[in-house]
Amino acid sequence: MATEEKTKEILDKLKNAVIQYDEDTAKEGAEEALKEELNPNDAIFNGLVSGMEEVGRLFEAQEYFVPELLMCADALYVGLDILKPHVNQLDLGVKGSVVIGTVEGDVHDIGKNIVKMMFDVAGFEVYDLGKDVPLDKFIEEQIKTDSDLVCLSAMMTTTMVGMKKVIDDLKAKNPDIKIMIGGAPVSQDIAEKWGADGYAGDANNALKDAINMISSLKKMKEDAERKNS
Amino acid sequence: MTENTMTSRERVLKLFAGEKIDRPPCFSGMGNVTAEGLKKFDYKFAAVHSDAKMMADSAASSYKLYGFECAVVPFDLCVEAEALGCEINVYSHLEDILYPTIKTKLINSEDEMDIQLPSDIASRGRVPMMKEVIRLLKEDIGNDVAIGAHVLGPFTLAGQIMELNTLLKLSFKKQEKVGKLLDMMADALITIAKEYVDAGADYITVREMGATSDVLSPRVFQNLILPYLKKIFTEVKTNSVIHICGKTNDIAGFMVESGATAISVDQKNDVVEARKKIGDEPLLFGNYDPYNILVSGTQEQVRETMKQCMDNGVDAVWPGCDIWPTVPPENFNAMMDEVKKYRR
Repeated sequence: MATEEKTKEILDKLKNAVIQYDEDTAKEGAEEALKEELNPNDAIFNGLVSGMEEVGRLFEAQEYFVPELLMCADALYVGLDILKPHVNQLDLGVKGSVVIGTVEGDVHDIGKNIVKMMFDVAGFEVYDLGKDVPLDKFIEEQIKTDSDLVCLSAMMTTTMVGMKKVIDDLKAKNPDIKIMIGGAPVSQDIAEKWGADGYAGDANNALKDAINMISSLKKMKEDAERKNS
Repeated sequence: MTENTMTSRERVLKLFAGEKIDRPPCFSGMGNVTAEGLKKFDYKFAAVHSDAKMMADSAASSYKLYGFECAVVPFDLCVEAEALGCEINVYSHLEDILYPTIKTKLINSEDEMDIQLPSDIASRGRVPMMKEVIRLLKEDIGNDVAIGAHVLGPFTLAGQIMELNTLLKLSFKKQEKVGKLLDMMADALITIAKEYVDAGADYITVREMGATSDVLSPRVFQNLILPYLKKIFTEVKTNSVIHICGKTNDIAGFMVESGATAISVDQKNDVVEARKKIGDEPLLFGNYDPYNILVSGTQEQVRETMKQCMDNGVDAVWPGCDIWPTVPPENFNAMMDEVKKYRR
């Protein structure tokens, strides 16, 4: 096992690699984490995700914009791809599978991909339907995979209205299903009116929402570990 | 001056010319066809994009039904990309209203960016059809209202023909390479816009929503996008509008600098603040929410919003995006009525 100092050094390396969208350093940090036998979950949450949290702050402060966000996400994935095979799936008390996609008529998928990234990080089973997805497909896929969460994304007002139909259909078939909607035209008001359980108005909101969710998962995990020890 | 002595067309043209008018006009540079308008002709939305007569009929209907002070074509954002060789999807299998999208990109990665513009853009895709639509509209209602046409901005068009993730990352990492592509896009847009002007368009709106400050930093906007917008507005000599949605307060000054006759912003813009920044002189159009207010708001909310826009100092009451077709007739009427009775 690595010393506390070494561990901190590696976590910082992973964190900064994400913030500075440095894929090479992310790779190096992740490999080092494995070599030094860090807990891979730790490396993901306290390294990569910490970095992404800072990226969210920079985005909110308008120091970072979407291009930077995308590059940071690339760096995160480089680290995640190395670390993930070594994670032992923890029982987090949630089923953790999600159907996600951009609704038909909309070919934008950046916001959707950012949210997807956070689910990937959290170890969710992600069923990504892509973009321009026929509305019925969301319902079919939810039933097929028995996912407890469906995320719908629309970048434009002109496609947003399709989401209402999917929400109605999903809730009619399964009242317990949780639905998150996202995209530039979406508002709290619309989410409430249409019966969605959560919403994300922009990439940062999506990132923040997803991070909040992941953070609460992290907390649950830590609580569970504390109880066990 | 009273309502009776001035046609809508005169009002809009005088506005662009910087002359005094009785009240702000209520018009748009973006799509404003309504479901009511389509119903009048029994047209399916998916069918109107590729038929000149159907498009002209539908485009004129918002004026004929509600007195909206313009007719604008096209309705979708794919004409230019199609002329460059992209295939489009009009969703003809659906009854729902969906706008056409691009099916396949021309550029999927950085090493595919070295493209050539077709030499005959003006006669490719639906460009000739749009010219025909503009001519039909001129004949039909051209004496009464201004006829507008829109093209995309160079960055937004690049985002239509190129994988957007890659384009965005390269706009940060390799601006020179992206600049070269944007220059080419600007040339294509200049050609197409000039065709529309030749056909009789009274004003051209350039929609550069891909470069909103929700996506790109004001600095990247200034360095990478602005030079090509300037090129377009220098070359296309007519009344022009630069439209960008989302966050625009930090780039409102650059939008004025682009050389467009007017700037257009959406409901996320703080118009009072923008005015402070750009001064009283530049024309600023905006900025009501064409869905959450016009379609799903109450008539009272519609009226309040229009009044608020004008009190805030817009020179024309103008939507933040395409007007979503399912706008209830009573809301459309409330909007027109509120604007018509307004006096500064």
